[in-house]
Amino acid sequence: MDTPTGKRAFGQALRAGNRFDVTAAQRPILVFEGVHKAYRADAPVLRGLNLEIQRGEFVFITGPSGAGKSTLLRLLYAAEQVDAGRILFMGREVGRLSAASIPYLRRNIGIVFQDFKLVQNWSVLENVGVPLEVLGVAPRIIRTRVGEVLERVGLAGRGKDLAGTLSGGEQQRVAVARAIVGEPALVLADEPTGNLDPQLAVDLLGLFEDIHETGVTVLFATHDRSLLDVRPRRVVILDEGKATDVPDGLEEELEDIDLYVA
Amino acid sequence: MTPLDRAWRGGRNDWRLHFLSIFSVAVAFVCLAAALLVVFNVQGIRARWASSGRASVYLDPGVTEEQVRTVERALRATAGVTTVRFVSSADARRELLADRVDDVLAALPPEAFPASLEVGLEGDDATARLDMVAKQLSALPMVDRVETYGTWSQRLGALLAGGVTAAAILAIIVLAAVVSVVSSTIRLVLQRRHIEVEVLKLVGATDAFVRRPFVIEGAAQGAIGAAVAVAVLGFLYAIVRSQFDGQLGAMLGMTPTFLPILAQAGMVVLGALLGAGAAFLSLRRLLSI
Ligand SMILES: Nc1ncnc2c1ncn2[C@@H]1O[C@H](COP(=O)(O)OP(=O)(O)OP(=O)(O)O)[C@@H](O)[C@H]1O
Ligand SMILES: [Mg+2]
Repeated sequence: MDTPTGKRAFGQALRAGNRFDVTAAQRPILVFEGVHKAYRADAPVLRGLNLEIQRGEFVFITGPSGAGKSTLLRLLYAAEQVDAGRILFMGREVGRLSAASIPYLRRNIGIVFQDFKLVQNWSVLENVGVPLEVLGVAPRIIRTRVGEVLERVGLAGRGKDLAGTLSGGEQQRVAVARAIVGEPALVLADEPTGNLDPQLAVDLLGLFEDIHETGVTVLFATHDRSLLDVRPRRVVILDEGKATDVPDGLEEELEDIDLYVA
Repeated sequence: MTPLDRAWRGGRNDWRLHFLSIFSVAVAFVCLAAALLVVFNVQGIRARWASSGRASVYLDPGVTEEQVRTVERALRATAGVTTVRFVSSADARRELLADRVDDVLAALPPEAFPASLEVGLEGDDATARLDMVAKQLSALPMVDRVETYGTWSQRLGALLAGGVTAAAILAIIVLAAVVSVVSSTIRLVLQRRHIEVEVLKLVGATDAFVRRPFVIEGAAQGAIGAAVAVAVLGFLYAIVRSQFDGQLGAMLGMTPTFLPILAQAGMVVLGALLGAGAAFLSLRRLLSI
């Protein structure tokens, strides 16, 4: 059931120009402070990671395989808990949310995965509409909204197709549509191009840039070097459990770090 | 899309699993319903026997017609007595030997078939009254002995108690069977739909929202299983009844009846509740995402 605390916590913070807190819009949307995370005591993944992300930024998270990119994102949508330090999303500490508030956190975050995570025997409409369905939106409005979003991702009129019958690139677009249909403040992408060929990967990146244009904050985790070079963007490198910012244009610095472990 | 729609969609996609579950639940419920049916009918016979008494008053061989008529009159005047029928020695012999070719029985002397008065009583305290009447009759000189069939009523009572115990044990087994069948089915269904559950949780569905269709599916399995069991048993009952009706009814002094509608509905409700409970428990810990 809906807990009022959970709703209030994110419902108010969500609106940029919130009249109760005029500074909300200027504050960073996301702050990592000394975050530690280890799945096994002898192999810590994040070791005192600090990172600040402003509202409306587009940030690449990169680093070698096993560096903890997915872990960082999972901590953010509360699929994992930090061992030490804290993560603030819209000023709220994620690690201290009660189990009942976590769904409300996730309603403000759209997530896209490498493996799409679509329900194969559902239609595209059902897959994309699911975040609205969870909110209790009327079916007629869901259909309209999904139609609009499908148009944005270039899949207009494909609502009735079964998700399983679409190509990989199309499926990932469906997943993107699902991530943005609820108009979240933040979109996370964990290796979204990992299963796509290079041209499709660049197309998909373009789609995320379009989404970013509408004011959404985007965190894009990838170890695909070629994507980082498409346009100068803020790049954060995860290595040795810490985050290092690479300012725009300093591509030489990237060259020094071996992103390819294989 | 309501939870019911979602449950329907899920049930349609995994109909084989649901079918198996419903089948197993139905088997369990057929056992329970059959036991209840027997208990219910034995109970009916007992209730009838308790409110109606029957006694055979065996008369001395040398009894005169005058004496018989006196006893008969006295019996008719007794409160609760509804029927009194005189069965002569010859009648008794004929009744026993009717449609039977049995040389040993036929060779028996007429004394082996004593004349009797068949007495019937009705009313709530029929059994108690019967004992009193029997005692008084026994004291009469021309009465040989009085058979009240009391031991039969006792035996029936014991049978009923045994039946109730058996039904109770069956009920517990059915409970356990339904819970384990439905919960393992739901766990399997959950595995098959783990992507769906994962997606729901990632887009911010509450656990209650995720759980609802599964609980509905569990309840449906239990309820449909129970309803199928009642229907199957009703069908079997109809077959058996059409074969036995006449003789069985005459022998037992009552006609067999099927489970009352309340018991049928109760079983369906029980199935639904057990199924829902089992599903709920097996989903207590949803995928930890
Ligand atoms: N659930 C888990 N249990 C134990 N160890 C885990 C778990 N998830 C991740 N790890 C370990 O944590 C480390 C970081 O994993 P993570 O998936 O965050 O890396 P990544 O940067 O996303 O890598 P990739 O680029 O290959 O996706 C790895 O060494 C991984 O083996
Ligand atoms: Mg990863």
